[in-house]
Amino acid sequence: MHMTDALISPAVGITMCVVSTAAVAYAVKKNVSEKKIPMMGVMGAFIFAAQMIDVAIPGTGSSGHITGGILLAAMIGATPALLSMSAVLIIQCLFFGDGGLLALGCNIFNLGVIPCLIVYPLVFEPLIKKNANPSKITIASIFAVVAGLQLGAFGVVLQTHISGVAELPFSAFAILMQSIHLIIGVAEGIVTAAILCFVLKMRPEVMECISSRETVKHHSKGVIIAFAAIALLGGCVLSQFASSNPDGLEWSIERANVFEK
Amino acid sequence: MIGKIQELSALERLSGGDTYVHRLHPMVKLFATAVFIITVISFGRHAFILLIPYVFFLIFLMILSKTPHLILFKRFLIAFPFCFFAGISNVIFEPAPYGLISFFTIMLRAYLCVMAALLLVSVTPFYEIANSMRRLKIPGIFVSIFEMTYRYISVLLEEVYSMYIAYSLRNAGKKGIRMRDMGSFAGQLLLRSFDRADRVYNAMKCRGYTLDFVPQNRQSFLPKDIVFFIFVCIFCLTFRLIIPFIPTVLLS
Repeated sequence: MHMTDALISPAVGITMCVVSTAAVAYAVKKNVSEKKIPMMGVMGAFIFAAQMIDVAIPGTGSSGHITGGILLAAMIGATPALLSMSAVLIIQCLFFGDGGLLALGCNIFNLGVIPCLIVYPLVFEPLIKKNANPSKITIASIFAVVAGLQLGAFGVVLQTHISGVAELPFSAFAILMQSIHLIIGVAEGIVTAAILCFVLKMRPEVMECISSRETVKHHSKGVIIAFAAIALLGGCVLSQFASSNPDGLEWSIERANVFEK
Repeated sequence: MIGKIQELSALERLSGGDTYVHRLHPMVKLFATAVFIITVISFGRHAFILLIPYVFFLIFLMILSKTPHLILFKRFLIAFPFCFFAGISNVIFEPAPYGLISFFTIMLRAYLCVMAALLLVSVTPFYEIANSMRRLKIPGIFVSIFEMTYRYISVLLEEVYSMYIAYSLRNAGKKGIRMRDMGSFAGQLLLRSFDRADRVYNAMKCRGYTLDFVPQNRQSFLPKDIVFFIFVCIFCLTFRLIIPFIPTVLLS
């Protein structure tokens, strides 16, 4: 689900970079303690390694892998998870050619900010409430992962559409992306639930979503909603500027046609 | 999985080279790459021909830095399917010649942007990238997380690999992990990573680690760095702003 430089316009890319930078800065401000650095670093590497594990999807003969935003947030907390995910996305972009430098803002937003800062506090935490048990964790994981992937996929559709590089019709592209990610989301939700239930059984004290719920309560929902709103508005407004001046070649094709007539 | 570890070390080996491009100031390389990518993606949907000079420019830099094209190109293929899918829709939904032109333009944009980022890391050692981030006033805590994630990826990939081998030996060599085993498989890895993080933190503390780490060997800008940056800017701007308008001026 990585967005690539090839499909975005500079306006969308830069807007999303600004929004994601703000989100990461907010997360950094929340995690000033150096004690957590190795945890976030090693867990970032864990997510990278976990993405390499192929899970056989029953009945299809194919396999997939997890993206891990919700898993990470449940284990180490929302803002540390965002920092780990961002580090992983930067490494994937720089060293593995996944996405691109300017698309990094879009990717951090779709795969980091949405699951960790928006879906986790708004869906996962309320569903677990107090005293977590395996069935609650399973329901919360599936709902949260599906919601996260749906929003993330919609983010990709919206960013592609506003950029206007690809000629994909909005509705068809949206329906395709949402339905594919619904299936992926359910599968990933089940896997996430299985991993969390295993940890709950073995070492419940290490799970952030259980041990210190009071510290992660409602991290200012206003801030969260503001990020989403800024992203949407900024993208729409800037794209108007970007497309009001026709590009050099289009302009010259137009001129050439007039000239021929 | 072993492939991924080798991919990481391959780029790291390349970045240890000693050519004109390798010796440039890392910040200059970073900003030059940004200028290049923004210029490339600012072109319109049908600008296929106008992008070709940038391909030559990139290849020129690769030759100058003795970077093998094939290693980077293999990595570009990872990003390829999504671009291909989005690009092929242009062929379907746009009238005949334009659809094909915009399809190839998207492919070329993808090629240029991915290769530019990969070239940046294959001519800049990893610690230089991290130090540049610190100099750009990116908070030390984030840069440290970034560095640690990078360092531990190969450690954890090796761990996953040995667990994977052990699992498939007991599973008659079938491909992938069964879904019902995934919980304990990834869960084990998760708990091991947690314990490792604790040990790492203690080891770092024992060696006097603090967050206010000051990067050493502060390299200053040399005239050649400034010349290179100006050259990149002039190249990008010339082919973006001046060359595209010459045909129309001639026509009118």
